[in-house]
Amino acid sequence: MTFAVSEHVNFLLLGLGNGAVYGALAVAIVVVYRSSGVLNFATGAMALQGAQTYVFLRQGALLLVLPILPRTVELGRPWGFWPALVLTMLIEAAFGLGLFFAVFRPLRRRTAMARAVASIGIMLVLSGLVEQRAVDGPAIAGPIFPRGRIEVGSIFITTDRIYLAVTVLLLALVLMAVDRFTTFGLRTRAASETEVGALVSGLSPDRISAANWALSGAIVGLAGVLISPLTPLGATTYTLFVVPALAAAVIGRFDGVVSAALAGLAIGMLQSEIVYLQSRYDWMPTSGAGDLVPLALVLVFLVARSPKIPERGAIRSRFGELVRAPRFVGLTTAVAVPTGVVAIFALQGSYRAALFTTLIMSMFGLSYVVVTGYLGQVSLAQLSIGGVAGFLLATLTTDWGIPFPVAPIVAAVCAAMVGVVIGLPALRVRGMLVAVVTLIFAVGVEAVWFRNPQFAGGADGNSVESPTLFWVDLGIGSGADFPRPAFGLLCLAVLVATALAVARLRTSRLGYNLLAVRSDERSAAASGVDVVRTKLTGFAIGAFIAGLAGALLAYKNTRVSFESYNVVSGLFVFAIAYVSGVASIAGGVITGLLAVGGLVFVALDRSVDLGVWYGVITGVALVVAVVFWDQGVAGFLRRAAGLIGRKAGASFARAPASIILGDTGSEELAVTAVEKSVPAEPLLEVTHLSVHYSGVAAVTDVSLGVRRGSIVGLIGPNGAGKTTLLDALCGLVAACGRLEFDGSTLTGLPHVRARRGIARTFQGLELFEQLTVVENIEIGANVNREAGGRVAADALIRELGLDARRDTVVGELSQGQRQLVSIARSLAGRPRLLLLDEPASGLDTSESAWLGAHLEKIRQRGVSMLLVEHDVALVAAVCDIIYVLDFGRVIAVGSPAEIGASPEVAAAYLGTLGEVSDP
Amino acid sequence: MSALLEARLTVGYGHIVVGRDIDLRVAAGEICAIIGPNGAGKTTLLNTIAGLLPPIEGSVTIGSERIPGGAARRASRAGLALVPDHRALFTRLTTLENLRAADRTGGHAIEEMFELFPPLETKAKLAAGRLSGGEQQMLALARAFVQRPRVLLIDEMSMGLAPIVVQSLAGSISKYAAATGAAVVLVEQHVPLALASSDHALVLVHGDVVLQGPSDEVSAHPELGSMYLGGGPARPFRTGGRGDLDR
Repeated sequence: MTFAVSEHVNFLLLGLGNGAVYGALAVAIVVVYRSSGVLNFATGAMALQGAQTYVFLRQGALLLVLPILPRTVELGRPWGFWPALVLTMLIEAAFGLGLFFAVFRPLRRRTAMARAVASIGIMLVLSGLVEQRAVDGPAIAGPIFPRGRIEVGSIFITTDRIYLAVTVLLLALVLMAVDRFTTFGLRTRAASETEVGALVSGLSPDRISAANWALSGAIVGLAGVLISPLTPLGATTYTLFVVPALAAAVIGRFDGVVSAALAGLAIGMLQSEIVYLQSRYDWMPTSGAGDLVPLALVLVFLVARSPKIPERGAIRSRFGELVRAPRFVGLTTAVAVPTGVVAIFALQGSYRAALFTTLIMSMFGLSYVVVTGYLGQVSLAQLSIGGVAGFLLATLTTDWGIPFPVAPIVAAVCAAMVGVVIGLPALRVRGMLVAVVTLIFAVGVEAVWFRNPQFAGGADGNSVESPTLFWVDLGIGSGADFPRPAFGLLCLAVLVATALAVARLRTSRLGYNLLAVRSDERSAAASGVDVVRTKLTGFAIGAFIAGLAGALLAYKNTRVSFESYNVVSGLFVFAIAYVSGVASIAGGVITGLLAVGGLVFVALDRSVDLGVWYGVITGVALVVAVVFWDQGVAGFLRRAAGLIGRKAGASFARAPASIILGDTGSEELAVTAVEKSVPAEPLLEVTHLSVHYSGVAAVTDVSLGVRRGSIVGLIGPNGAGKTTLLDALCGLVAACGRLEFDGSTLTGLPHVRARRGIARTFQGLELFEQLTVVENIEIGANVNREAGGRVAADALIRELGLDARRDTVVGELSQGQRQLVSIARSLAGRPRLLLLDEPASGLDTSESAWLGAHLEKIRQRGVSMLLVEHDVALVAAVCDIIYVLDFGRVIAVGSPAEIGASPEVAAAYLGTLGEVSDP
Repeated sequence: MSALLEARLTVGYGHIVVGRDIDLRVAAGEICAIIGPNGAGKTTLLNTIAGLLPPIEGSVTIGSERIPGGAARRASRAGLALVPDHRALFTRLTTLENLRAADRTGGHAIEEMFELFPPLETKAKLAAGRLSGGEQQMLALARAFVQRPRVLLIDEMSMGLAPIVVQSLAGSISKYAAATGAAVVLVEQHVPLALASSDHALVLVHGDVVLQGPSDEVSAHPELGSMYLGGGPARPFRTGGRGDLDR
């Protein structure tokens, strides 16, 4: 039995080799992320470049990857280890620096997702370039560390692995020391916490980021050199080393280099141990389980620790593509369908097959429209999800004899469930971490299922029965028959149905919810959107569509194999989808045209041998798309066709911030109370409320009440805790104390409280920037699910004089108009209590008075209000009772007259050094 | 006396104008206060002068050097330091490390900062996030002083602080300006404090400069209260059917 234990230990130690590399790459990822907020997916590809450069130097040649330059430069004699290592590290450092200046510095004001997507593009470019250039090179490098062997009892280990692990740990420790004890480290830590703080301290965040990119490059170079003796120099293998490295970085929370290094070592060791277990235990899959280790660890870590991974990046960032509602759906369908049918019959041979591929890949494009366009998440696993459906289909049709169309639908439904499973980690993390999880999943699924001879038929694949419907053979055929138009018609039918469904989704309530969640989760929650359910539904729908596409792909190939659904191809699909445009159906179709095997690809391939260049071009296109033009090809075509009408909204560029006031004199207010107001009964009662966070007492022992039909004012100097109090009432921050609304305790998530009748506006006006005025208000109507949603929105818009702007995207409105939209959105849900957070901010005196009149009208309809405001005149004019907050406590309560005369209030607001001349 | 800091600006975000036609001139050793109700554009103005935000129109000049819009580094190298309204301290770094991050050749020694603000020396090894509100404000000021700025911008220093602390900080700032000849711009909610500790003042209401001049004159102005609080009978109304506005 000791024999067995020592076997385990041996395998664990064996894994130190790979683990060390993962650790080194993880360290490089953390260094870059901390200082510039970029999740560098290209780290593995950079290691590939480093490894190849080193190998060529050892043979006396300098490898150049840029296409225009000669492939290698002869250097005379082979270089020794140290010079080769140093030069490699310098080259990679320079490359890192170049990446920063060329790509990531221009992206500094953009979202973290944009930067991560750009790094995916660079990954594709670099991987393709290096593979292309190093094609004649040696397959593996000579050993670096001495390969001795140490034995202790029945435990043995080769010394090179020990050296490797120790080197990486030393590296991590040195970096940690640099971080703690040097000025450079101090500045990096400072700038990584707050960019504004760095700027006001006279630091240059740009320089600090540049230096860290160079440092990271050097580390990656080192990692590449260290791994070259261990692993054959395959482009895909090295590029995908980024996956376990990312997992290790996640576990290190993207902040600690030592923990990332240790996590990398652990992953390597566990993977090796799993290989051993696979050979020992029958119930384990015969291959590939090792690739599940990163996935399992990341999931466990995310569930257990729910990490606060610092979200770096500008707050006011340009968003990306506008997701406009599709127009002319009927017309487009009426034109597209006959065109498609004609094309199916008119094209022959390989062009017809390319058309079929285009139709299928368009489906993947549409799946991206839902997940990335509508929901705003980056998923790198859509093709893999399609693969899940494809492999299931093979089993269902061949082994179980389930016929078409049941089998593909079942397969797609299973794919949808997989989508939900992937979506679960997405609930806990933001943005590009979701991309990481999906990538790790894709790698795991491919290794443990698609490539596993136990489940899948290897490169030949599992066969798939041809689809038939009512004795009509819809299969693609073979030999002289291939490709049969019937199959094309099937694909076309499925695509059209899916496209119509996705178009319909955009204008449905679920569609609005998806867009709201994409735009601003907090605001969506406070508007009554169930964020969790919306996200999971979005993933499920996207996965279902990908599943249908994967099934069709299986039918097309008549077999399924890992080659159709591999991870790198999946990355290409994402890249093409992003470049084509994920905000519209047209973008989905363009994805189909541009994808591998699609019409454009085949046409180009005829004239030019694309080969590896396809990857490079795709990668470049992706980077260019992110940096310069994020509306996609579809957006470009739309603009060219003049269909993007930005209307008069654009002319607001220089207009003063003022509202266009409509004639509202006698119109009925669209807001009605659920019941007639019963005077003087408490609607909201707050007792001894306190809110603490980060050791700060933001609100202490506050008690206040709002009676039905009253307007209560809440004033106080900045930082007094007024917004925090509103957050607590809404459920956005945790609080202790008693909250009672309409007689019962007020608890629950924000959207639950919203549905009980509490609505709120936000100080930062967290409107859904990408949606129009009408759409924003309709999301508010979500809360109250009466059929009168749309009518209420229209009436509100008229009431508040926004009619001329109803179809303008909110991001283009003036401040005053945005305030109105915010209030209208809250009112659309017919709340009983309205929490207003500085609604007059940005309004001038007359607009503020006008607002006051409206608040009065809203009150007359039975909506009670709690008004946080700085505009003392407004508060004095409309409020029945005023609470004054200072340092988180209530320091005065009373009528406007009493408050105006109170010396404590004057002191709190205006200071103790004397009086202000009175009005 | 010629101005050390000269700023003629229209400021805002994108197409939203937040401060219109502001003309600010501060000579060496002078303190200028900017007061006004919230949402008036004061913070935006300071951020624009500091180069964190590009101006919609206009320019900033320090000494004889014109600073391009949105160039925070240039402004910093020309001798400008900003203490932002949310302080932007490095909360995970210690007090000493916060000062060291801003330390530069030609600046003041950190020991001098400890003499100016003794509580900071006691808490030198404590993480900045654990300091009290007053101590954090001291640290934010010290971090600016350490750079030996020629132009010092301070945004809402009194926010969330007890009056007595605020008075003492204001004293330190006056002494600093007098000793080093720095030009200081103070944005303040705390009106009497602002007017008592400044040489001249500017009142910004809803993006427009409604009053500007020597502080004692501004302080004595009869309309100051109504302008500041936005109330009073002298408000202009727009015409047009808008229903009942009088209360």
